[in-house]
Amino acid sequence: MKESSTLAPALAVFAGLGLVAALLLAGLNALTEERITDERRNHALRAVSAMLLAGSYDNDLLDTAEPIEIRGLEEATTYTSRLSGSATALVFDIVTANGYSGDIRLLVAVSAEGVVLGSRILEHRETPGLGDRIERDKSDWLAQFDGKSLGRPPAEEWAPDRRGGAFDTVTSATISSSAVVDAIKRVLLTFESRGDVLLRETQAK
Amino acid sequence: MTDMNRIWRDGLWDNNPGLVQLLGLCPLLAVSNTAVNGLGLGLATLIVLVASSVLVSALRNTWRPETRIPAFVLIIASTVTAIDLSMQAWLHELSRSLGIFVPLIVTNCTILARAEAFASRQPVGSSLVDALAQGTGFAAVLVVLGAGREMVGRGTLLDGAEMLFGDSAAGWSIPVLPFEQGLLLAVLPPGAFIGLGLLVAGRQYLVNRSREAGVKSRPAPSTADPTTP
Repeated sequence: MKESSTLAPALAVFAGLGLVAALLLAGLNALTEERITDERRNHALRAVSAMLLAGSYDNDLLDTAEPIEIRGLEEATTYTSRLSGSATALVFDIVTANGYSGDIRLLVAVSAEGVVLGSRILEHRETPGLGDRIERDKSDWLAQFDGKSLGRPPAEEWAPDRRGGAFDTVTSATISSSAVVDAIKRVLLTFESRGDVLLRETQAK
Repeated sequence: MTDMNRIWRDGLWDNNPGLVQLLGLCPLLAVSNTAVNGLGLGLATLIVLVASSVLVSALRNTWRPETRIPAFVLIIASTVTAIDLSMQAWLHELSRSLGIFVPLIVTNCTILARAEAFASRQPVGSSLVDALAQGTGFAAVLVVLGAGREMVGRGTLLDGAEMLFGDSAAGWSIPVLPFEQGLLLAVLPPGAFIGLGLLVAGRQYLVNRSREAGVKSRPAPSTADPTTP
Protein backbone atom coordinates (compact mmCIF):
# COMPACT_ATOMS: atom_id res chain seq x y z
CA MET A 1 0.00 0.00 0.00
CA LYS A 2 2.87 2.33 0.82
CA GLU A 3 4.27 1.63 -2.61
CA SER A 4 1.18 2.92 -4.40
CA SER A 5 0.93 6.02 -2.24
CA THR A 6 4.43 7.07 -3.29
CA LEU A 7 3.83 6.20 -6.91
CA ALA A 8 0.77 8.43 -7.19
CA PRO A 9 2.57 11.80 -7.20
CA ALA A 10 5.04 10.55 -9.81
CA LEU A 11 2.17 9.43 -12.00
CA ALA A 12 0.48 12.78 -11.50
CA VAL A 13 3.63 14.57 -12.64
CA PHE A 14 3.85 12.27 -15.64
CA ALA A 15 0.22 12.89 -16.58
CA GLY A 16 0.63 16.63 -16.07
CA LEU A 17 3.72 16.59 -18.24
CA GLY A 18 1.81 14.84 -20.99
CA LEU A 19 -0.99 17.36 -20.78
CA VAL A 20 1.36 20.36 -20.87
CA ALA A 21 3.31 18.85 -23.77
CA ALA A 22 0.12 18.23 -25.72
CA LEU A 23 -1.12 21.77 -25.15
CA LEU A 24 2.20 23.38 -26.07
CA LEU A 25 2.58 21.28 -29.21
CA ALA A 26 -1.01 21.97 -30.27
CA GLY A 27 -0.29 25.68 -29.85
CA LEU A 28 2.92 25.48 -31.86
CA ASN A 29 1.17 23.47 -34.55
CA ALA A 30 -1.53 26.11 -34.86
CA LEU A 31 1.17 28.77 -35.03
CA THR A 32 3.26 27.09 -37.73
CA GLU A 33 0.62 25.24 -39.76
CA GLU A 34 -0.13 28.05 -42.18
CA ARG A 35 3.52 28.89 -42.68
CA ILE A 36 4.48 25.27 -43.35
CA THR A 37 1.70 24.95 -45.94
CA ASP A 38 2.92 28.17 -47.55
CA GLU A 39 6.51 26.99 -47.58
CA ARG A 40 5.54 23.67 -49.18
CA ARG A 41 3.52 25.52 -51.79
CA ASN A 42 6.36 27.94 -52.47
CA HIS A 43 8.78 25.06 -52.80
CA ALA A 44 6.59 23.42 -55.45
CA LEU A 45 5.92 26.74 -57.17
CA ARG A 46 9.62 27.64 -57.32
CA ALA A 47 10.40 24.32 -58.97
CA VAL A 48 7.61 24.60 -61.57
CA SER A 49 8.10 28.29 -62.38
CA ALA A 50 11.86 27.76 -62.81
CA MET A 51 10.91 25.76 -65.92
CA LEU A 52 9.30 28.76 -67.59
CA LEU A 53 10.54 32.16 -68.69
CA ALA A 54 9.40 34.97 -66.43
CA GLY A 55 6.73 36.90 -68.28
CA SER A 56 5.64 33.92 -70.39
CA TYR A 57 2.66 33.37 -68.09
CA ASP A 58 0.39 35.39 -65.82
CA ASN A 59 -1.68 32.72 -64.09
CA ASP A 60 -1.35 30.89 -60.77
CA LEU A 61 0.51 27.75 -61.86
CA LEU A 62 -0.34 25.66 -58.80
CA ASP A 63 -4.06 26.19 -59.41
CA THR A 64 -3.75 24.39 -62.74
CA ALA A 65 -2.36 21.18 -61.23
CA GLU A 66 -4.08 18.23 -62.91
CA PRO A 67 -3.17 14.57 -62.35
CA ILE A 68 -3.05 12.53 -65.58
CA GLU A 69 -2.25 8.97 -66.61
CA ILE A 70 0.83 8.32 -68.74
CA ARG A 71 1.60 4.76 -69.75
CA GLY A 72 4.94 3.58 -68.37
CA LEU A 73 5.21 6.32 -65.76
CA GLU A 74 4.30 5.98 -62.10
CA GLU A 75 2.76 9.37 -61.51
CA ALA A 76 2.17 12.43 -63.61
CA THR A 77 0.76 15.87 -62.92
CA THR A 78 0.49 18.73 -65.39
CA TYR A 79 0.64 22.44 -64.78
CA THR A 80 -0.50 24.84 -67.49
CA SER A 81 1.02 28.25 -67.99
CA ARG A 82 -1.22 30.85 -69.61
CA LEU A 83 -0.63 34.35 -70.90
CA SER A 84 -3.78 36.46 -71.01
CA GLY A 85 -5.94 33.37 -71.21
CA SER A 86 -4.20 31.30 -73.87
CA ALA A 87 -2.03 28.33 -72.90
CA THR A 88 1.68 28.81 -73.60
CA ALA A 89 3.16 25.65 -72.12
CA LEU A 90 2.57 22.52 -70.07
CA VAL A 91 4.86 21.51 -67.22
CA PHE A 92 4.80 17.77 -66.51
CA ASP A 93 5.75 16.59 -63.02
CA ILE A 94 6.50 12.90 -63.58
CA VAL A 95 7.92 9.89 -61.75
CA THR A 96 9.64 7.04 -63.56
CA ALA A 97 10.46 3.74 -61.87
CA ASN A 98 13.16 2.81 -64.40
CA GLY A 99 16.08 4.41 -62.57
CA TYR A 100 19.08 2.43 -61.42
CA SER A 101 18.05 2.57 -57.76
CA GLY A 102 14.47 3.60 -57.34
CA ASP A 103 12.20 6.30 -58.63
CA ILE A 104 13.36 9.41 -60.45
CA ARG A 105 11.08 12.42 -60.23
CA LEU A 106 11.49 15.16 -62.82
CA LEU A 107 9.82 18.20 -64.32
CA VAL A 108 9.56 18.61 -68.08
CA ALA A 109 8.24 21.82 -69.64
CA VAL A 110 6.74 21.46 -73.12
CA SER A 111 5.71 24.45 -75.25
CA ALA A 112 2.31 24.62 -76.94
CA GLU A 113 4.13 23.54 -80.13
CA GLY A 114 5.44 20.35 -78.47
CA VAL A 115 9.06 21.47 -78.00
CA VAL A 116 10.92 20.74 -74.75
CA LEU A 117 11.52 24.07 -73.01
CA GLY A 118 13.45 22.67 -70.10
CA SER A 119 13.70 19.80 -67.68
CA ARG A 120 14.92 19.29 -64.14
CA ILE A 121 15.45 16.33 -61.83
CA LEU A 122 13.61 16.83 -58.54
CA GLU A 123 14.29 13.61 -56.66
CA HIS A 124 16.37 10.54 -57.33
CA ARG A 125 18.50 7.94 -55.60
CA GLU A 126 21.00 7.29 -58.38
CA THR A 127 24.62 6.58 -57.45
CA PRO A 128 26.42 9.73 -56.23
CA GLY A 129 29.20 10.61 -58.65
CA LEU A 130 27.85 8.46 -61.48
CA GLY A 131 24.09 8.45 -62.01
CA ASP A 132 23.57 11.71 -60.16
CA ARG A 133 25.14 13.56 -63.09
CA ILE A 134 21.70 13.54 -64.66
CA GLU A 135 21.08 16.48 -62.28
CA ARG A 136 21.48 19.91 -63.75
CA ASP A 137 23.68 21.07 -60.88
CA LYS A 138 26.16 18.29 -61.52
CA SER A 139 26.53 18.37 -65.32
CA ASP A 140 25.06 19.83 -68.50
CA TRP A 141 23.69 16.49 -69.60
CA LEU A 142 20.04 17.40 -69.04
CA ALA A 143 20.40 20.56 -71.18
CA GLN A 144 20.68 18.50 -74.38
CA PHE A 145 16.89 18.00 -74.38
CA ASP A 146 16.12 21.72 -74.55
CA GLY A 147 14.65 22.59 -77.94
CA LYS A 148 14.10 18.95 -78.88
CA SER A 149 10.77 17.53 -79.96
CA LEU A 150 9.34 14.24 -81.22
CA GLY A 151 10.27 15.05 -84.83
CA ARG A 152 13.75 16.26 -83.98
CA PRO A 153 15.14 13.63 -83.42
CA PRO A 154 12.52 11.11 -84.65
CA ALA A 155 10.74 9.05 -81.97
CA GLU A 156 12.78 5.88 -82.58
CA GLU A 157 16.01 7.77 -81.86
CA TRP A 158 14.84 8.91 -78.42
CA ALA A 159 17.37 6.85 -76.50
CA PRO A 160 20.90 7.36 -75.13
CA ASP A 161 23.64 6.76 -77.76
CA ARG A 162 24.90 3.80 -75.76
CA ARG A 163 21.62 2.19 -76.78
CA GLY A 164 21.68 3.42 -80.35
CA GLY A 165 19.80 6.66 -79.82
CA ALA A 166 20.56 10.27 -80.58
CA PHE A 167 21.33 11.50 -77.07
CA ASP A 168 24.54 11.53 -75.03
CA THR A 169 24.82 8.94 -72.27
CA VAL A 170 26.04 9.82 -68.81
CA THR A 171 29.31 7.89 -68.50
CA SER A 172 28.81 4.64 -66.58
CA ALA A 173 25.13 5.41 -66.05
CA THR A 174 23.33 4.03 -69.09
CA ILE A 175 20.33 2.93 -67.02
CA SER A 176 19.88 6.33 -65.38
CA SER A 177 20.29 8.09 -68.74
CA SER A 178 17.88 5.75 -70.44
CA ALA A 179 15.25 6.22 -67.72
CA VAL A 180 15.30 10.00 -68.17
CA VAL A 181 15.30 9.94 -71.99
CA ASP A 182 12.44 7.44 -71.96
CA ALA A 183 10.44 9.51 -69.46
CA ILE A 184 10.78 12.67 -71.56
CA LYS A 185 9.86 10.72 -74.68
CA ARG A 186 6.71 9.46 -72.99
CA VAL A 187 5.79 13.01 -72.05
CA LEU A 188 6.18 14.10 -75.67
CA LEU A 189 4.17 11.12 -76.93
CA THR A 190 1.41 12.04 -74.50
CA PHE A 191 1.57 15.63 -75.66
CA GLU A 192 1.34 14.51 -79.30
CA SER A 193 -1.73 12.36 -78.79
CA ARG A 194 -3.51 14.32 -76.06
CA GLY A 195 -1.85 17.75 -76.02
CA ASP A 196 -4.75 19.60 -77.63
CA VAL A 197 -7.15 18.15 -75.12
CA LEU A 198 -4.83 18.87 -72.18
CA LEU A 199 -4.32 22.47 -73.20
CA ARG A 200 -8.02 23.02 -73.90
CA GLU A 201 -9.24 21.24 -70.78
CA THR A 202 -7.18 23.33 -68.44
CA GLN A 203 -8.09 26.44 -70.38
CA ALA A 204 -11.79 25.83 -69.99
CA LYS A 205 -11.49 25.78 -66.22
CA MET B 1 33.91 26.93 -11.16
CA THR B 2 36.41 24.13 -11.80
CA ASP B 3 33.38 21.85 -11.81
CA MET B 4 31.96 23.72 -14.77
CA ASN B 5 35.32 23.61 -16.54
CA ARG B 6 35.42 19.88 -15.97
CA ILE B 7 31.94 19.52 -17.53
CA TRP B 8 32.96 21.56 -20.57
CA ARG B 9 36.18 19.59 -20.99
CA ASP B 10 34.23 16.34 -20.73
CA GLY B 11 31.72 17.31 -23.39
CA LEU B 12 34.17 18.77 -25.86
CA TRP B 13 37.13 16.43 -25.50
CA ASP B 14 37.57 13.92 -22.65
CA ASN B 15 34.12 12.35 -22.97
CA ASN B 16 32.95 13.67 -26.34
CA PRO B 17 29.65 11.98 -27.31
CA GLY B 18 30.75 11.42 -30.91
CA LEU B 19 34.42 10.53 -30.50
CA VAL B 20 34.60 8.80 -27.10
CA GLN B 21 31.14 7.61 -26.08
CA LEU B 22 30.38 6.87 -29.76
CA LEU B 23 26.72 7.72 -29.15
CA GLY B 24 24.25 8.97 -31.76
CA LEU B 25 26.25 7.43 -34.59
CA CYS B 26 23.23 6.94 -36.85
CA PRO B 27 22.58 10.66 -37.47
CA LEU B 28 26.28 11.43 -37.13
CA LEU B 29 27.20 9.16 -40.01
CA ALA B 30 24.14 9.76 -42.16
CA VAL B 31 23.97 13.54 -42.16
CA SER B 32 27.65 14.46 -42.12
CA ASN B 33 27.95 14.63 -45.93
CA THR B 34 28.27 18.42 -45.98
CA ALA B 35 29.36 20.96 -43.37
CA VAL B 36 26.02 22.81 -43.52
CA ASN B 37 23.97 19.65 -43.03
CA GLY B 38 26.21 18.74 -40.10
CA LEU B 39 25.84 22.18 -38.54
CA GLY B 40 22.05 22.13 -39.03
CA LEU B 41 21.56 18.78 -37.34
CA GLY B 42 24.18 19.63 -34.71
CA LEU B 43 22.32 22.80 -33.70
CA ALA B 44 18.95 21.03 -33.69
CA THR B 45 20.37 18.29 -31.47
CA LEU B 46 21.97 20.89 -29.17
CA ILE B 47 18.65 22.70 -28.69
CA VAL B 48 16.81 19.46 -27.94
CA LEU B 49 19.53 18.38 -25.52
CA VAL B 50 19.46 21.68 -23.62
CA ALA B 51 15.67 21.77 -23.38
CA SER B 52 15.34 18.14 -22.28
CA SER B 53 18.21 18.29 -19.76
CA VAL B 54 16.87 21.45 -18.10
CA LEU B 55 13.36 19.99 -17.85
CA VAL B 56 14.56 16.63 -16.54
CA SER B 57 16.78 18.36 -13.99
CA ALA B 58 14.07 20.80 -12.85
CA LEU B 59 11.71 17.91 -12.16
CA ARG B 60 14.40 15.59 -10.78
CA ASN B 61 12.85 15.28 -7.31
CA THR B 62 9.59 13.91 -8.68
CA TRP B 63 11.01 11.00 -10.71
CA ARG B 64 10.38 7.42 -9.65
CA PRO B 65 11.93 4.40 -11.35
CA GLU B 66 8.53 3.44 -12.82
CA THR B 67 7.87 6.77 -14.52
CA ARG B 68 11.36 8.05 -15.15
CA ILE B 69 12.15 6.63 -18.61
CA PRO B 70 8.65 7.19 -20.09
CA ALA B 71 8.73 10.76 -18.79
CA PHE B 72 12.18 11.37 -20.31
CA VAL B 73 11.03 10.02 -23.65
CA LEU B 74 7.91 12.19 -23.47
CA ILE B 75 10.00 15.30 -22.81
CA ILE B 76 12.52 14.49 -25.53
CA ALA B 77 9.86 13.59 -28.11
CA SER B 78 7.90 16.79 -27.42
CA THR B 79 11.02 18.93 -27.76
CA VAL B 80 11.97 17.22 -31.02
CA THR B 81 8.46 17.68 -32.42
CA ALA B 82 8.63 21.38 -31.55
CA ILE B 83 12.03 21.74 -33.27
CA ASP B 84 10.81 19.80 -36.30
CA LEU B 85 7.72 22.00 -36.73
CA SER B 86 9.76 25.16 -36.28
CA MET B 87 12.35 24.06 -38.82
CA GLN B 88 9.68 23.17 -41.36
CA ALA B 89 8.18 26.62 -40.90
CA TRP B 90 11.28 28.80 -40.75
CA LEU B 91 14.14 26.72 -42.22
CA HIS B 92 12.15 24.84 -44.83
CA GLU B 93 14.95 24.04 -47.31
CA LEU B 94 17.25 22.81 -44.55
CA SER B 95 14.57 20.59 -43.06
CA ARG B 96 14.05 19.09 -46.52
CA SER B 97 17.75 18.50 -46.84
CA LEU B 98 18.01 16.82 -43.42
CA GLY B 99 14.86 14.82 -44.12
CA ILE B 100 13.94 12.13 -41.63
CA PHE B 101 16.94 12.85 -39.37
CA VAL B 102 15.31 15.75 -37.54
CA PRO B 103 12.38 13.62 -36.24
CA LEU B 104 14.93 10.87 -35.57
CA ILE B 105 16.75 13.07 -33.03
CA VAL B 106 14.32 11.36 -30.62
CA THR B 107 16.35 8.20 -30.98
CA ASN B 108 19.73 9.87 -30.47
CA CYS B 109 21.03 8.03 -27.42
CA THR B 110 23.19 10.99 -26.38
CA ILE B 111 20.07 12.83 -25.28
CA LEU B 112 18.55 10.02 -23.22
CA ALA B 113 21.99 9.19 -21.85
CA ARG B 114 22.55 12.74 -20.59
CA ALA B 115 19.05 12.87 -19.10
CA GLU B 116 19.59 9.58 -17.31
CA ALA B 117 23.25 9.83 -16.32
CA PHE B 118 23.53 13.53 -15.56
CA ALA B 119 20.44 15.74 -15.57
CA SER B 120 18.29 13.48 -13.38
CA ARG B 121 20.85 13.75 -10.53
CA GLN B 122 22.26 17.26 -10.89
CA PRO B 123 20.97 20.78 -10.28
CA VAL B 124 19.58 22.78 -13.20
CA GLY B 125 22.71 24.94 -13.59
CA SER B 126 25.13 22.05 -14.01
CA SER B 127 22.66 20.20 -16.23
CA LEU B 128 22.38 23.22 -18.52
CA VAL B 129 26.16 23.47 -18.81
CA ASP B 130 26.46 19.73 -19.35
CA ALA B 131 23.86 19.83 -22.14
CA LEU B 132 25.61 22.78 -23.78
CA ALA B 133 28.99 21.06 -23.54
CA GLN B 134 27.83 17.67 -24.79
CA GLY B 135 25.69 19.23 -27.52
CA THR B 136 28.52 21.47 -28.69
CA GLY B 137 30.89 18.50 -28.65
CA PHE B 138 28.46 16.48 -30.78
CA ALA B 139 27.83 19.38 -33.18
CA ALA B 140 31.57 20.01 -33.51
CA VAL B 141 32.18 16.41 -34.57
CA LEU B 142 29.30 16.65 -37.07
CA VAL B 143 30.67 19.87 -38.59
CA VAL B 144 34.29 18.66 -38.75
CA LEU B 145 33.29 15.32 -40.26
CA GLY B 146 30.85 17.05 -42.65
CA ALA B 147 33.45 19.61 -43.73
CA GLY B 148 36.06 16.89 -44.29
CA ARG B 149 33.73 14.69 -46.33
CA GLU B 150 32.47 17.65 -48.33
CA MET B 151 35.99 18.85 -49.16
CA VAL B 152 37.30 15.45 -50.18
CA GLY B 153 34.12 14.25 -51.84
CA ARG B 154 32.87 17.37 -53.59
CA GLY B 155 35.77 19.80 -53.43
CA THR B 156 33.64 22.51 -51.82
CA LEU B 157 33.06 23.90 -48.35
CA LEU B 158 29.85 25.44 -46.96
CA ASP B 159 27.84 24.50 -50.05
CA GLY B 160 24.15 25.16 -49.41
CA ALA B 161 24.78 27.69 -46.62
CA GLU B 162 21.71 29.64 -47.78
CA MET B 163 19.50 26.85 -46.36
CA LEU B 164 20.65 27.78 -42.84
CA PHE B 165 21.67 31.43 -43.05
CA GLY B 166 19.24 32.85 -45.62
CA ASP B 167 19.70 34.00 -49.21
CA SER B 168 22.59 36.32 -48.38
CA ALA B 169 24.71 33.22 -47.73
CA ALA B 170 24.19 31.77 -51.21
CA GLY B 171 27.72 32.73 -52.24
CA TRP B 172 29.45 31.25 -49.21
CA SER B 173 30.31 28.03 -50.96
CA ILE B 174 34.10 27.89 -51.24
CA PRO B 175 35.70 25.75 -53.95
CA VAL B 176 38.52 24.21 -51.94
CA LEU B 177 39.91 21.61 -54.29
CA PRO B 178 40.20 22.20 -58.02
CA PHE B 179 38.56 19.03 -59.31
CA GLU B 180 35.02 18.86 -60.61
CA GLN B 181 34.40 15.36 -59.29
CA GLY B 182 35.82 14.63 -55.83
CA LEU B 183 36.70 11.32 -54.28
CA LEU B 184 33.33 9.63 -54.46
CA LEU B 185 33.98 7.35 -51.48
CA ALA B 186 33.99 10.27 -49.05
CA VAL B 187 30.36 11.19 -49.80
CA LEU B 188 29.11 7.60 -49.73
CA PRO B 189 28.34 5.86 -46.40
CA PRO B 190 31.75 4.15 -46.13
CA GLY B 191 33.34 7.59 -46.20
CA ALA B 192 31.44 8.45 -43.04
CA PHE B 193 32.83 5.43 -41.19
CA ILE B 194 36.37 6.01 -42.46
CA GLY B 195 36.17 9.72 -41.63
CA LEU B 196 34.89 9.07 -38.11
CA GLY B 197 37.57 6.41 -37.64
CA LEU B 198 40.25 8.91 -38.63
CA LEU B 199 38.83 11.50 -36.20
CA VAL B 200 38.77 8.97 -33.33
CA ALA B 201 42.32 7.89 -34.19
CA GLY B 202 43.47 11.51 -34.44
CA ARG B 203 42.01 12.30 -31.02
CA GLN B 204 43.63 9.19 -29.55
CA TYR B 205 46.99 10.19 -31.03
CA LEU B 206 46.79 13.62 -29.40
CA VAL B 207 45.75 12.11 -26.06
CA ASN B 208 48.62 9.61 -26.14
CA ARG B 209 51.14 12.25 -27.13
CA SER B 210 50.17 14.59 -24.32
CA ARG B 211 50.27 11.65 -21.90
CA GLU B 212 53.76 10.68 -23.08
CA ALA B 213 54.91 14.27 -22.79
CA GLY B 214 53.61 14.29 -19.23
CA VAL B 215 55.47 11.05 -18.46
CA LYS B 216 58.77 12.24 -19.94
CA SER B 217 58.84 15.31 -17.76
CA ARG B 218 58.87 13.06 -14.72
CA PRO B 219 61.77 10.64 -13.91
CA ALA B 220 62.02 7.85 -16.50
CA PRO B 221 59.58 5.07 -15.66
CA SER B 222 61.07 1.71 -14.80
CA THR B 223 59.22 -0.12 -17.57
CA ALA B 224 61.15 1.88 -20.17
CA ASP B 225 64.33 0.01 -19.24
CA PRO B 226 64.11 -3.77 -19.74
CA THR B 227 67.19 -4.50 -17.55
CA THR B 228 65.57 -3.30 -14.37
CA PRO B 229 63.06 -5.62 -12.72
